[in-house]
Amino acid sequence: MSIKKLQTGITAFDHISAGGLPYGRTTLISGSSGCGKTLFSAQFLAMGIQLFDQAGVFVTFEEQVEDIRINLRTLNWDIDTWEKEGKWVFVDASQKDDDSLTVGDYDLSGFQVRLERAITKCNAKRVVLDSIGSVFTQFQEMNSIRHELFKVTLALGRLDTTSIITTERTEEYGKVSRLGVEEFLTDNVIILRNVLSEEKRRRTIEILKFRGSMHEKGENLFTIHPEQAIVIIPLSAMDLKYRSSSVRVTSGVAKLDEMCGGGFYRDSIILVSGSIGAGKTLLVANFINGIQKKERCLLLAFEESREQLFRNATGWGQDFAKLEEDGQLKVVCIYPEVSSLEDHLLNIQAIVKEFKPDRIAIDSLSALSRTSTDKAFREFIIALTSFLKHQEITGMFTVTTTLLSGGTSDTEGNISPLTDTIILLRYVEMSGDMQRSLSVLKMRGSKHDSSIRGFTIDDKGINIGEPFIGVSGILTGIPLRS
Amino acid sequence: MSKLALHLYINGKSHISVEAIDNLNTICQEKVPGEYELEVIDIQLDPDRAEEAGILAIPTLIRTWPLPVTRMIGALTVKSRVMAGLGLSNL
Repeated sequence: MSIKKLQTGITAFDHISAGGLPYGRTTLISGSSGCGKTLFSAQFLAMGIQLFDQAGVFVTFEEQVEDIRINLRTLNWDIDTWEKEGKWVFVDASQKDDDSLTVGDYDLSGFQVRLERAITKCNAKRVVLDSIGSVFTQFQEMNSIRHELFKVTLALGRLDTTSIITTERTEEYGKVSRLGVEEFLTDNVIILRNVLSEEKRRRTIEILKFRGSMHEKGENLFTIHPEQAIVIIPLSAMDLKYRSSSVRVTSGVAKLDEMCGGGFYRDSIILVSGSIGAGKTLLVANFINGIQKKERCLLLAFEESREQLFRNATGWGQDFAKLEEDGQLKVVCIYPEVSSLEDHLLNIQAIVKEFKPDRIAIDSLSALSRTSTDKAFREFIIALTSFLKHQEITGMFTVTTTLLSGGTSDTEGNISPLTDTIILLRYVEMSGDMQRSLSVLKMRGSKHDSSIRGFTIDDKGINIGEPFIGVSGILTGIPLRS
Repeated sequence: MSKLALHLYINGKSHISVEAIDNLNTICQEKVPGEYELEVIDIQLDPDRAEEAGILAIPTLIRTWPLPVTRMIGALTVKSRVMAGLGLSNL
């Protein structure tokens, strides 16, 4: 039996938290400076208003109200109207310029009265206190302030609100908070991180605990999107429950279809591995050309420009310009370095949702992997493949190997378990002649031709020939005639 | 407008509120009898005033005249400090 949750409306958060924030309770959000605590909290209120028509109270102990308004407007949240309609109420508890002298005992009942009044006035369902650390800098008596804040959280529960309290921490991996507030806010804790890892920033969200309730464990990547604010990429919550299609689609090369036992599965991911010039882009071109009438293909090029791609395709007898004119092809060329992988992922998802392709080709993944750490790249691939499979899109990704013949790439080692089909393109040196070879290394859920075949490229494209017979050691790069 | 103008924010009959009123009246009657105006604001009865003034701690004493405006929090238990805070030390 899980406790009742309040759906937040924040993308994917409700998914990783198995339904949202614990209803009628206070959740502590802890993180270092700049981790997105205030944004997450503000988004919690904004989504409440936009999606569920629930009013919210935002208590600021630190930032000035006008600064917060300015920040909210940049996300296209209509704070002015919300305030006018009484859906969003600020309680300004920020420190004012005038110094105040402390003489004798005091409590924070002034704050409590104002907070309760704000909540009842707008019938708030959601409350944010940002950030509690500043209360301790405004008032010195740690113990009594802690006690006062505890009373505040009791009041929040009594008023039937679901609330967030934010707090700072000094290290990304250490004590939950530097203030000891977890003593009374111990039931529900979320940690936001902004870690520098190999020169790249990695933002993650972790639900440390939700007492008495299910949630995903571990860190989930998120990114701050200029329009959607915080977008979580729920890795741990991804399931492998997508349907598995038995429908076959053509690779665009009849002989290759034959080698794969009748073509690729429609919702499969195909990895094409080969060195520079081994014919990867050619296979991609055929894959694109394999689309049927009324089907669409999206090509994401991270290495070559449009002009180069179109010219090469023409060289193989294919007319990309015509396909694009007919709306069957969309070519998007992006420099991998322009954004982080999380942002690339969101961008790709947005393009896919808009264009609704049946196929997607990425040339090449290796270019993308250069911009990130191994871990982040792996997470990117998991998220991307899962997304594509849910949409039943056939995907072809290329990776570049460093050696001309033989060898594997780092990228490949990282992602091959996540793909359904692997095609190896390798050079073979035979009697002083560089020959090209193609083999289907893996074909999940189907029989396939296990031979290594030679192939040639001419102005009509690819011609797959006969298996190399009587030669061994091709994949090691040192072929021997036996 | 030469009178000392004071606003004291209190919370009902809580003991620190009562204490603060007593302490403040004692000091003022001793030091500036008839020369001060004290307004006591109960935030339970008048929460809007608390909102306007941005009150967090109770009791809060605000000296609105003479300028500059100064604030003091607490039950005003230490006479010499309250006097210093109100600018009455050298009277």
